[in-house]
Amino acid sequence: MEVKIIQENGTVTAQLIGRLDTPASLEIAPQMNAVAEQAGGTVILDCTELSYISSSGLRIFLTLRKAAADKGGKVLVRGINNEIRTVFMMTGFLQLFEIQ
Amino acid sequence: MKKKANNIKALLLVVIAAVTLEATAVVQFYFSQKGIQAEADMRAEGQLDATRNKIMDVINQTEAAVRNSVWIAQWCLDFPDSLSRVCQRIVEDNPVVAGSTVALVPGYRADRPLYAPYVCRSDADTLRFLSLATEQYDYPSQEWFTAPLAAGEGYWSEPYVDEGGGEMLMTTFSIPIRDKQGKFAAVITADISLDWLSELLGSMRVYPNAYCTMLSRGGHYLVHAPETAVTDTTRHYTYHATVERTGWAMAIVIPEDDIYGRLRQLGGIVGFLQLLGLAMIILMLRSFVRGQQRYQALDQKRQRIEGELHIATGIQMSMVPKTFPPFPERHDLDMAATIVPAKEVGGDLYDFFIRDEKLFFCVGDVSGKGVPAALVMAVTRTTFRNLSAQEDSPGRIVQAMNDNLSVMNDSNMFVTFFCGVLDLAGGSLRYCNAGHNPPRILTDAIRPLPVEPNLPLGVLRGFAYQEQETLFRHDDALFLYTDGLTEAENAVHQQFGEERMERALHGRKSAQAHLDNIKQQVADFVGDAPQSDDLTLLFIHYLSPAHHLSLQNDIRQISLLPAFVDETVRTFKLDESLSGSLNLALEEAVTNVMMYAYPAGTTGDISLDVSARSHAVTFTLTDAGKPFDPTRSKEVDITAGVEERPIGGLGIHLIRQIMDEVRYERRGEENVLLLTKKY
Repeated sequence: MEVKIIQENGTVTAQLIGRLDTPASLEIAPQMNAVAEQAGGTVILDCTELSYISSSGLRIFLTLRKAAADKGGKVLVRGINNEIRTVFMMTGFLQLFEIQ
Repeated sequence: MKKKANNIKALLLVVIAAVTLEATAVVQFYFSQKGIQAEADMRAEGQLDATRNKIMDVINQTEAAVRNSVWIAQWCLDFPDSLSRVCQRIVEDNPVVAGSTVALVPGYRADRPLYAPYVCRSDADTLRFLSLATEQYDYPSQEWFTAPLAAGEGYWSEPYVDEGGGEMLMTTFSIPIRDKQGKFAAVITADISLDWLSELLGSMRVYPNAYCTMLSRGGHYLVHAPETAVTDTTRHYTYHATVERTGWAMAIVIPEDDIYGRLRQLGGIVGFLQLLGLAMIILMLRSFVRGQQRYQALDQKRQRIEGELHIATGIQMSMVPKTFPPFPERHDLDMAATIVPAKEVGGDLYDFFIRDEKLFFCVGDVSGKGVPAALVMAVTRTTFRNLSAQEDSPGRIVQAMNDNLSVMNDSNMFVTFFCGVLDLAGGSLRYCNAGHNPPRILTDAIRPLPVEPNLPLGVLRGFAYQEQETLFRHDDALFLYTDGLTEAENAVHQQFGEERMERALHGRKSAQAHLDNIKQQVADFVGDAPQSDDLTLLFIHYLSPAHHLSLQNDIRQISLLPAFVDETVRTFKLDESLSGSLNLALEEAVTNVMMYAYPAGTTGDISLDVSARSHAVTFTLTDAGKPFDPTRSKEVDITAGVEERPIGGLGIHLIRQIMDEVRYERRGEENVLLLTKKY
């Protein structure tokens, strides 16, 4: 699992690459907490290369989403595959996130 | 140090022995001396008594002879010429009397101012008649005459040498005679020779160098001591007695040497014998101490050899796999093995390794014990390793091993041996049993693995070994053992036996737990009885890779799930699109166990099994953590807005979404979660 953070024009893009299972979520938690600090602006979660997500990953997404709601920012989820889309559907995340 | 201590001990023994012997000798000597002294006293005093009695006989005879003649002498005073007749009677009638006189008091008769007729023996038969009234002799001044008159009673004279008679030593007994008016008129005497005294005392030879002596009351020698006695300065014992009336004192003088000479001689001999005995004790002790030193040296040597043997056994043991679990990266195999060696070095062995996804394993028991068995074991193990490095068929491995061992087997030792090759991918088990105890196969029941009656290794060269085959299914296990298990004896010589062994194998446990349990049961059964044989156990639990996954309580183990799910999908020919969601459901379930059943920091196993029936696949997740039922957690509201959405609770929600059936059971000490997916 790999995370690439790109900052440009007040927008933070977190590119998630690989499988976001429980160990991976623990691994990237510090980086994502740093991203959540900047949730006042626009945060883009680029899932183009994310193949799998479990509830631990979903928690990171939700935490970020709640931070954005608190700070008046917004979270965009980009490029989720069908499997992840199914998971989002099952968990009601489709309603919580702006999916691109 | 030990040598020195032994020498001191030996020295002490010698000293004690010497002191004891010496003390015995001294006590013995002391009492012997006492006894000998008492004996000497008795002998000497007895002799003195006897001698005195003999002397007293003579004295009494003499006195009686004189006293009996007093009245007739009194009567004859008026007829002086008949007085010589009185004297003649005394001499004639008493052989002890040598001479006799009746001497008138001078002036008693005017006609005969001096008158003393004297009769004595000239030889045995003849008597001489003499007169003592001569001018030269002057009898009135002689002691024998004056003393009785002065005392008024019988008197024994001091011994004197008779000059007129036979030049012999004489003594005279004299009694004064009164006339009818009571006036002293004469003295009557009897002389006795004292020559017999020397003879009598000389005959008193109580001890070879003893001598006797006798003194008159005036201090004259009656019997002389031998001349040598004067210069003799050695110690003597003297016993003395006095003869009544005459006042003679006699003594027996015994040189100390005569009394104690024998004792001293004996003492010398005893001393010599003691020294000899002591010398023998010293010699014996020396040889004993040397023997002990030799024994110690031998014992050290033996200990060294034993120590080396144990090291050798240790080296051999280190050649067999000792790390368990042996293949921690494999989840299709749970193995454990153990050798509990008896005190002596023994000949049990086991071995296993994986080559080309095949598990090669063996268990063997070399006949006999000790070094030869250990050496044959090493050879057997090496041969097994060498042959199985290229050969896949256990039959051919055993065949070749037999030929090898038979060629080398000059000592007629044999090895019972079981060799198996388990194909880990397919579960096929090929095996060859060379006279070893049939292993137990654990499926839904426990039964012996069918084995051909092949000969043990090393018995017959060229023997054709029969290979056999069986199929291992998921969760089957094989238990191999040596007869050290079944023949383990308790104090009353009962054997552990196959029945107890099979009972001990019941129940679901890890391989290691099985062996620990069996070892414990054997130990409990045997109690304090000594272990007589090596005990070797090998447990192989086969878990088909598509059917089982073992996980430890470590979140990183989650990464093992995708491969397992892919394998499951392939095995049960499921729709590949299912793998993602199945993976997700399993991950959520496993994560829950790790988070809630096992408290942070604890270790524990999680076992994931899969089974399929028509159009449904069921995953069984088992853990030994604290009771945790995920199905009881609250359903999360997925329609809630961002603010109201709780962070957690999505895991069980996803499981319910993905799976068609979710069931929790608490089975004994285990949580069991059953997840079923229909397709």
